[in-house]
Amino acid sequence: MKIGVFICHCGSNIAGTVDCAAVAERASTYPDVVYATDIMYACAEPGQDAIIAAIKKHGLTGVVVASCTPRMHEPTFRKAVERAGVNRYMFEMANIREHVSWIGKDIEANTNKAAELVRMAAAKLRLDRELKPKSFPVTKRLLVIGGGVAGIQAALDAADAGLEVVMVEKQPTIGGKMAKLDKTFPTVDCSSCILGPRMVDVAQHPNITLYAYAELEEVSGYVGNFDVKIRKKATYVDWDKCTGCGLCTEKCPSKKSYDRFNEGVGPTTAIIIPFPQAIPKKASIEREYCRQFNKGKCGVCAKVCPTGAVNYEMQDETVEVKVGGIVAATGYDLVDWKVYSEYGGGRYPDVVTSLQYERMLSASGPTGGHVKRPSDGTEPVNVVFVQCVGSRDPSIGRPYCSGFCCMYTAKQAILTKDHIPGSQSYVFYMDIRSPGKGYDEFTRRVQEEYGARYVRGRVSMIYPKGGKLMVRGADTLMGTQVEVEADLVVLAVGAEASANSSALAEKLRISYDGYGFFMEGHPKLKPVETNTAGVFLAGSCQGLKDIPSSVAQGSAAAAKALGLLSRDMLDSDPQIASVSVNRCVGCRKCIEVCPFKAIQEVDMRGQPKAEVIETVCQGCGLCNATCPQGAIQLSHFTDNQILAEVEALCRF
Amino acid sequence: MSIQDELKSAITAALPDVSCVVGWGAGPEPLRAAPLFIRGEADLEGFSAGFLSVNNPALYLPSLKGSKVGVVVKGCDARSVGQLAAETLIKREEVHVIGYPCRGVIDVDKVAAKLAGACETGEVAALREDGDDVLLNTPKGEVRLAKKDITADKCGRCAFPNAGNADVFVGERCAPVVTEDGYADIADFEARGLDELKAFWEQEMSRCIRCYACRNACPLCVCRDQCVAMSREPHWLSQGDGVRDKLFFQIIHAVHLSGRCTGCGECERACPLGIPVLKLKRALSRRVEKLFGYKAGGGDTPPLLTFLVEEPTIKERDWK
Repeated sequence: MKIGVFICHCGSNIAGTVDCAAVAERASTYPDVVYATDIMYACAEPGQDAIIAAIKKHGLTGVVVASCTPRMHEPTFRKAVERAGVNRYMFEMANIREHVSWIGKDIEANTNKAAELVRMAAAKLRLDRELKPKSFPVTKRLLVIGGGVAGIQAALDAADAGLEVVMVEKQPTIGGKMAKLDKTFPTVDCSSCILGPRMVDVAQHPNITLYAYAELEEVSGYVGNFDVKIRKKATYVDWDKCTGCGLCTEKCPSKKSYDRFNEGVGPTTAIIIPFPQAIPKKASIEREYCRQFNKGKCGVCAKVCPTGAVNYEMQDETVEVKVGGIVAATGYDLVDWKVYSEYGGGRYPDVVTSLQYERMLSASGPTGGHVKRPSDGTEPVNVVFVQCVGSRDPSIGRPYCSGFCCMYTAKQAILTKDHIPGSQSYVFYMDIRSPGKGYDEFTRRVQEEYGARYVRGRVSMIYPKGGKLMVRGADTLMGTQVEVEADLVVLAVGAEASANSSALAEKLRISYDGYGFFMEGHPKLKPVETNTAGVFLAGSCQGLKDIPSSVAQGSAAAAKALGLLSRDMLDSDPQIASVSVNRCVGCRKCIEVCPFKAIQEVDMRGQPKAEVIETVCQGCGLCNATCPQGAIQLSHFTDNQILAEVEALCRF
Repeated sequence: MSIQDELKSAITAALPDVSCVVGWGAGPEPLRAAPLFIRGEADLEGFSAGFLSVNNPALYLPSLKGSKVGVVVKGCDARSVGQLAAETLIKREEVHVIGYPCRGVIDVDKVAAKLAGACETGEVAALREDGDDVLLNTPKGEVRLAKKDITADKCGRCAFPNAGNADVFVGERCAPVVTEDGYADIADFEARGLDELKAFWEQEMSRCIRCYACRNACPLCVCRDQCVAMSREPHWLSQGDGVRDKLFFQIIHAVHLSGRCTGCGECERACPLGIPVLKLKRALSRRVEKLFGYKAGGGDTPPLLTFLVEEPTIKERDWK
């Protein structure tokens, strides 16, 4: 074997603390290395050309590049060696940037460590074998999880481009958080007027299949061919028969159910259609409030339904779908603000959340768009907004900025003045964060034209006094303590990853951060991809964002999915496990540990043996580590290659 | 009826349905019994179970897979049967388990130490049990030894003297010596510190002759002819005669048994050099018990042979 070694300077990123020329010189003494050099930027065009030229000039059969993390440029170099006629798997990368130059300043120690890593890579390369990917057909269908504005956008864009789309929404209607908003900033246009038509488009699009009130049960398979199980939760109403007339919701005698859509601002019935523009506009029964289920007798809705759609015997139903790609757009939930006892912890009815306030402002909300104090139904005069409730607060584990609260608070202050011209709004804030197009102007307008009084400081306490609420806080600009007599207090509650997002991430086999937000493939360069091929992200599930950004990311995710699914065939990664049948004793350990169910037991002349399903194997190596006799090996990471690396390092 | 007779009638009753019953019979010398494969009533004559029934008959079950067999087990052997079944290395329904209460077995090395200077254990002409003692006929006359002084160490920490999963159990169940194996011996051993332990193992393993008796006696070692110790592809062990490779093999063996070893101690007993290799396995078993709340042999799948996104006993999400 003839190995060429290229030590990248990465400008001064590596060369600043590693003597690259010395590493190359040492590398030239390693077994089978016939050529070693240092190079300014291996990934740039001149660098790649130099690698290709060296392969041709020295007849190299394998290449080691010592540079950055393989997650960055392994594909780049693989393609480069392939252009020079060398199999792309006859290539190894030593990470001397993230693992060496960026973490230490001692040039001598760094140079030694870099040389050792290169020695390991070269030792591994000597045992590499040429690998060839196999191609497999792609299912041209996209799953969109979540029917909020980001998911809607992704679904419509993909469906318009001709892709079949399956949308799963856990609530009985799509629309997500945006459907609950009265108006949107900074234009103050009606939220349901702009979202409604999109929701209708989803319902009517011939390429979109919508499963509302359904959840993702299980995902197996791999990019291009995911097998998805969707659990359609029982609605106890046959949606094929339901016309959405709403007669059942008028006659339902159980009128004290919690109204999820309206954030509990008013009560609702046990059988509901969440709101007039709901898509699908179908009724469903909330079992925990239904008399038929709790008392065993009632049946009013079944009696009044003109189409006989109510079915109390309905069971959950599982649907299996095959898709080629998945867009996760599961959005966010509000932080549990009741941990703040200084804001009453939920004891004071006139302290409401911003989303509850939004429902009060909405003409289709339970108050018909009239702002009323929940305690006595009177119209408030002084309305106090408290920002950063559950945002930027490390004490409750939410140190991040939720991003959109400054803007919606400004919008709500404007709407308050519109609804109640004699009112006065106060906004307690930490900083005003308004970096979007037209956003800062908007926050000026609420102060200058609508007379909202902005107080820079935190609220330390809210307490009731004679039917009003006293809001005590600091005014840090004036250096004084202030106390405002409020009729209504609106908490700008921060957002967090939606409930169970981590469980979903695990089903999708994607990473998530400490707060449950899904991890993008790269914070700058792969903002909608994940590290799991075929799974994309849109909207707040990846990190909190407002409507324009969510929509943009929805479109971006659709574009990425379309790029993937525009191909008829995909190449499988050949770095997968394979079984040496004569060594396999059929002990089944590999089958048990495989997280992808990629190994099956087969019978070979009466003996049980393991067999890898090539297209399902993801090359994680768990089987390899578990097999006691080493009968199952991971191509490109065989036991002997790992041992060769260990021996190169320890030099026994 | 004595336990011996009860066992014999249980075996006789089982014989028509099984290809053989594995038990114990007379060994090469009076202090040692040997595994006995009973295929017909004629073979029963040599059968006996008791103080000398040291070998773990579960060892033979994986190689007898495919036909129904019977096996006579002590409590510890039954744990091996349970583990083999949990790992589907045997089919539990193919095994007819006959259990009896075990009150400990002999450790011939301890007898040798008692007889040191007087005679070799091989020179003992006969052994007779007398209550809590044994009487040995040696060339220098009769020697009386208390059973408790020559019982295997593992019996001193036995929590399972009665085969828990037996299809037939004869005799009165006896009380366990301890209710829980606290691994006190291992805790003390590990307290010596890494340097001293390294020196200890280098010293012990320098005596190893790489006979692999430890591996061959292990009922849960399943690779048989495909053991990594013999393989070039993958080439885990060199064929060199160094302590490093010998210790490396013991570590591989222990790791392969982590969460699987039931502590039957056959590896250590089989070692002709008396290297205390069970310690390595017990050290790992102790950790597995602590980490996963799992005790091998109870019939559940070992934690390291499963893939769970979240281990119920490891509260990863609470890690700070």
